[in-house]
Amino acid sequence: MTSREMMHRSEVAVSVELETPDMTLNIGPQHPATHGVLRLIAKIHGERIETVEPVIGYMHRGYEKLAEVRTYAQMTSLVNRIDWVSGFASEVPFILGVEKLMGVEAPERAQWIRLILTELFRISSHLVFMSSYPLELGASTPLMHVLREREFILELIEDVTGGRFHPNFSRVGGVKPAYGGGSQTKKQSMDLPAGFFKRTLEAMDRMDQIRDDIDTLVAGNELFKARTVDVGVIPADKAIEYGVSGPNLRASGVAYDLRKVDNYLPYDQVEFDVISRTSGDCYDRYVVRLDEIGESVKIIRQAVDIIPSGPLQAKVPRVLKVPRGQVYSRAENPKGEFGYYIVSEGGKMPYRLKIRSTSFSNLTILPWILEGQLIPDLVAILGSLDFVLGDVDR
Amino acid sequence: MTFWLELVIKLVLMLGLVLTAALVTIYVELKAGSHMQARIGPYYAGGRWGWAQPLADGAKFLQKEDLAPANADRTVYGFAPYVVMMSTLAIFAVIPLGSDLVATKLDLGVYFVLAISSLSVLGILMAGWSSANKYSLIGGLRAAAQLIAYELPLVLAVVAVVVQAGTMSLTGIVEAQQTTLFTVGGFNVALPYLLTGQIIGFVIFMIAAVAELSRIPFDMPIAESELTMGYLTEYSGIRFTMFFLGEYASMVGLSAIAATLYLGGYGAPFLPETIANLAGPGILFVKVAALVFFIIWIRFTWPRLREDQLQSMAWRWLIPLALVNIAVVSIFKVVL
Amino acid sequence: MSDKPDAALEADANPLADYVGDMAERLGAEGFAVDFDTARVFVAREKWVDTINEARKELPFFSWLSAIDWSRETEVGEGVAEPDELEERFEVMCRLSSVTDDKAIQFFATVPKDDPTIESLTGSIGGAEWHEREAHEMFGIMFEGNNNLVPLYLPDEFIGNPLLKSFPLIAREVKPWPGEVDVEGLVSDQDGDEEGDAS
Repeated sequence: MTSREMMHRSEVAVSVELETPDMTLNIGPQHPATHGVLRLIAKIHGERIETVEPVIGYMHRGYEKLAEVRTYAQMTSLVNRIDWVSGFASEVPFILGVEKLMGVEAPERAQWIRLILTELFRISSHLVFMSSYPLELGASTPLMHVLREREFILELIEDVTGGRFHPNFSRVGGVKPAYGGGSQTKKQSMDLPAGFFKRTLEAMDRMDQIRDDIDTLVAGNELFKARTVDVGVIPADKAIEYGVSGPNLRASGVAYDLRKVDNYLPYDQVEFDVISRTSGDCYDRYVVRLDEIGESVKIIRQAVDIIPSGPLQAKVPRVLKVPRGQVYSRAENPKGEFGYYIVSEGGKMPYRLKIRSTSFSNLTILPWILEGQLIPDLVAILGSLDFVLGDVDR
Repeated sequence: MTFWLELVIKLVLMLGLVLTAALVTIYVELKAGSHMQARIGPYYAGGRWGWAQPLADGAKFLQKEDLAPANADRTVYGFAPYVVMMSTLAIFAVIPLGSDLVATKLDLGVYFVLAISSLSVLGILMAGWSSANKYSLIGGLRAAAQLIAYELPLVLAVVAVVVQAGTMSLTGIVEAQQTTLFTVGGFNVALPYLLTGQIIGFVIFMIAAVAELSRIPFDMPIAESELTMGYLTEYSGIRFTMFFLGEYASMVGLSAIAATLYLGGYGAPFLPETIANLAGPGILFVKVAALVFFIIWIRFTWPRLREDQLQSMAWRWLIPLALVNIAVVSIFKVVL
Repeated sequence: MSDKPDAALEADANPLADYVGDMAERLGAEGFAVDFDTARVFVAREKWVDTINEARKELPFFSWLSAIDWSRETEVGEGVAEPDELEERFEVMCRLSSVTDDKAIQFFATVPKDDPTIESLTGSIGGAEWHEREAHEMFGIMFEGNNNLVPLYLPDEFIGNPLLKSFPLIAREVKPWPGEVDVEGLVSDQDGDEEGDAS
């Protein structure tokens, strides 16, 4: 070929319009960054995402149908498996709803124990978030350090309830009265284990320490900020429209915390602040949870002082028959607003139990927020919403 | 005859050196990194210290099945790891361990190193493309963009050193760093280039080197939590070992180059000529170990940068800075 | 509580009841009920979207949307307390709440079983899409205007609407329920109590 022909050829090749069709990328369900079995079908153009379609339901266990064939006591042991990171905090609204229908009020000590356990689980859930979120962005060290500190919290929970993740500790009318071991002592109800408050206060010191460490090492890191500031901004009105609640909502500027608004546990007797920030990006969501650990530590320290002595459970009949009624009972879970709508027709089992799970509502905003983002930002945003698949799928 | 004998001896020694260095580096990363993460690290393989862990991992990889994805381009797929390995090993041919301890005394030493090490981009692109996997493709493209972008600051930083030393030969650069600058109380004091005006160049070189190695904070191509190993996803067994060893070997190699260019190589202050050849490797080893440890330290501390942030850092910050560096060094070279 | 929709129960003299009564009147609802701290407002099916949009001006937070299947016969579980008085229907419910205080209202719309359609809220509330998809696949209710009513949780080959009272619990078809297991004894209970196995 002469050089003249070759030149002509190259000109022709360059002037043709290059068609680059969009690529459909399937992220998950098995993927290191998706917090469980979540599948995202993303249409991408280069590194930019055009649309995302989340496919959920891999962990659907049929809780609402199951609730229609389980007694209320049996349901108590099941509901802490919905959001397994904040186990006890999911039991609380359910038990409170049943107690409301039956007109039973738990004794003071039981309410304070519920409060302490809920706050311990809040710290535990936020620590899980603290550790796994930098890992998705590439920093692998906070994972190890933070989870080591979380062990102290889990040990405390295990001392009281017998379980690290699924405490199954609430009873209608209070909390589980603990038994001493052996058959001679089966009538003895032992209260919280000896030394529990002392160990709790020691653990709270460690929580303060790890909170400060993470503040310096992660939240103050320039690279971390470069990855999360102004990424994935959720404006306040969109958050309200989609039902996003909890730290995600408070990071967007709406200072709404159910612990201050509803009086489902004696939060009005402790002093704490509602943490909220203004811009609603991933960094704010991280910092809100970081600061909430500090607030929970404050609450627990006060609760340990205030907690009165007394019985652990009110008198309720052995086989629970809940009178007819419908009630919606909600609580501030670590991840947001968690609620149960109980329709009772007067039997031993609910007629209909609707579970308002936080992560499901938090996740509805995903298609809207992921449009037009880059793939690394997808990982950053997905992680910052802090959802658990068991909560999404029920 | 002696030429061939010498060649074989040099090859064997060099390969042995490189592989040992890579294995030791792997072990240090496992152990030191674990302690940084509040873990213990390798504990069982080889007694309490777990020193045999890299060997055990290597043996495990070698006995794996020879798999290739069904749609993969077989020739390219098989060839890619060797391209990367080859470009890494070739660097070591010109690194001086002592004033005479070098495999080849090339006048073009530094030029040769930069040219050969940029062949690894080709190998990575081959790996990403031929794996017939969308994740690998994205990883390969990211890697190509990143490596090309960071070649430039690397080269420009080296140009400043070459200007200051007046030669491209690595041995020549070390000797240039050993020229006496001033005398203090009867002792001739020579300073490495790090302290005589190349501090910015050193920083640029190290940043670019970490980016060339695709390590955190620049490991977008292998972003584990997003792309499950990027261009390496479909590789296993011996081919993966080649990539793996190649990465650690080039970590040692680039650190050795940095030590030679900026920290004075095998030379040390107050060293008599007679034992320069004997003590040289040891001195170089100390400097290389410090740099390698620093690179490992960074990996366990920081998150990774996003692709566009990475690119903007290279093009908008490092390259202009490196050009300014060259200008300043040239002016000082002419004036002083 | 299988109320006829236009019966307003005796509300306690509390601020929530006053507020809800006021809202119900303004929205032109068919009735309301406040008990157990839960406010329910009953809305006609035709005015569903308008009522919700109007209420959102004061209660902007869209919490959730779901349905109840009121049916005399149940395949598993216990049925309604008075099956003879029950009017078989679906009830679509949607909860809106405030983001400044604890006011919240649950809106109910009756949907007859032979014509299970209702207008969709996705036009004004973006978050309603997934909730309506779930209600659709669990109960079979059609939401007009929601053009993405593909199953959310269930696999593609699944036939049926699981949360209907007429849908059997498949696990029990395979293996019959062994009966209720003993709950653990309580402290304050009778003497000689054996600590039962917790289920």
